[in-house]
Amino acid sequence: MIGSLQRIIIIARNTLTEAVRQKVLTVLLLFGVVMICTSSFFSQVVIDQQIKFVKDFGCGAIGLIGLFIAILSTAQLLPQELHNRTIYTILAKPVRRAEFLFGKFLGVVLLLALSVALMSLAFAATLWWQESQGIAATKATYAANPHWESIPDQVSAYHHDVDAIVTQAEDPQLVEAILLLFAKLVMSSAIALVISTFSTSFIFTVITTSMIYLVGHLESTARDVWLQGGAQVSFLQSGFLEILSLLVPDMNSFTIVDEILDGHAVPWWHTLNLVGYAAVYTFVLLALSELIFRNREI
Amino acid sequence: MTTMRFPWRRVIWIAVLLCAWAPFKLVWEEGIEQQQNLLRYHGVAMTRQLRDQLTQGLTIGVLAGMRNVVADFVWLDVTVAWEKYEWFKMDSLINLCTSLEPRSIIFWDNGGWQLAWNVSVAATEDVVRQPNPLRRLHDSRFWIFKGLDVYKRGIENNPQSYKLWESTGELYQNRLADYRNAAICYQRASELPGAPVYLERFSAYMLEDAHDDAGAYAAWKALWYRLTPAQREEKQHWKEKIMSSIRKLENKLNIPREKRVFPN
Repeated sequence: MIGSLQRIIIIARNTLTEAVRQKVLTVLLLFGVVMICTSSFFSQVVIDQQIKFVKDFGCGAIGLIGLFIAILSTAQLLPQELHNRTIYTILAKPVRRAEFLFGKFLGVVLLLALSVALMSLAFAATLWWQESQGIAATKATYAANPHWESIPDQVSAYHHDVDAIVTQAEDPQLVEAILLLFAKLVMSSAIALVISTFSTSFIFTVITTSMIYLVGHLESTARDVWLQGGAQVSFLQSGFLEILSLLVPDMNSFTIVDEILDGHAVPWWHTLNLVGYAAVYTFVLLALSELIFRNREI
Repeated sequence: MTTMRFPWRRVIWIAVLLCAWAPFKLVWEEGIEQQQNLLRYHGVAMTRQLRDQLTQGLTIGVLAGMRNVVADFVWLDVTVAWEKYEWFKMDSLINLCTSLEPRSIIFWDNGGWQLAWNVSVAATEDVVRQPNPLRRLHDSRFWIFKGLDVYKRGIENNPQSYKLWESTGELYQNRLADYRNAAICYQRASELPGAPVYLERFSAYMLEDAHDDAGAYAAWKALWYRLTPAQREEKQHWKEKIMSSIRKLENKLNIPREKRVFPN
């Protein structure tokens, strides 16, 4: 058991090293960081909404660039090994196929964690900068009246405005948002892994995973129509929606991140429930990919 | 020659795995959806109407889970429409933003403000496009009520937002001179979490402006008794304002000396 774990960790480490050395992923990550940092300049055009814009844009960039990294890095895991013929050398050693697959996946998860952490740091720095700009602008507005500090109501209103900026920018719930985005990315990566275990083409894996990701955002609608559609839904439609609802993950639940960004309280138990859902789904997808990969002709 | 055997065993295992997971997944997802509905996180359904209002790129953005970013970009067009005097387009874009993000206070608040203040004032002053002063006045009122409608829908979607109640109060007070409704809005705003302390007094001020002396007296008295002695000392400037208002109204209403808050 420990030996197996060690082999998985070694493969994961190698996968991470290989991924970090790839220019495409580095450029993507750099692009993400630049996107987040420049959101602060875009936001200048939106009066009173700067921090909201930075938060939306920051989390959007983490989600989008993270998705590209997740799909691209997972989709090329097996094709690259086959193309370079390194898989034969690895599997000729006492390494089980399952260990190889899980090690590779763990490497991608580590890469995602690293990418999300880096983008989150850029996000935090941008938010901090925007917050200090917002406070300075608020002070300048009040300072238009040179005696404002001697008017208690003005002082009270100033403190209220500054508190509102600080609350918006230093929202501890952003940790929940980033955790949810990470969970969604890991799940997307697991979907790509399942497809790549039977696919022979990198492009096919990328496109199919992207489609499943998009359809995943409509899964809850499909489920509602299937369960509550009644006589309006034909037998064929119902069958199709049923298959969709039972197989495709519900990505739409993760849009709860939007509520967090709007400043509404999302309890931790709900976030952990969603993270748990993503973890179990990922485990099922890993089991599925192992079943498919076990007997694949290499 | 070797023959490939169909991997029945593997297919059966995959089918078993999926069959075992599917009902569990369904129940779990239904549970999550119920939790989200209970917590008022309804999100947004991609309706045909919404689809028709969005471009293809923005629709994909919404479907990819980037609803907030899409709404932000739509909001940028509100500013562009304002600069081009395209007020009905502004109204439509504000509606689109609030449909995409019904829980974003900023969109409701700024949307209502844009229509009830900016557009309404611009309509009053737009002599070139509308030379008829009565027509301009009519247009101005039209946009005020459009803005009011945005605030009201915002409150329906976010009943716990003091900000929207406060903005509605300001609209009633400054644009419609409806002080009684302004008092109700300020009162509701002051009762909600996060409301600034100064809102507590606004309701009483509005009742005074509405010439409802009895109502204003009751509001000031309630505020006076709600403050603890320590708070009264801490908010010295408040204390004086509340005391003078109560004294003034007690005299005006001829309150018997024994029933007065400040008999002396």
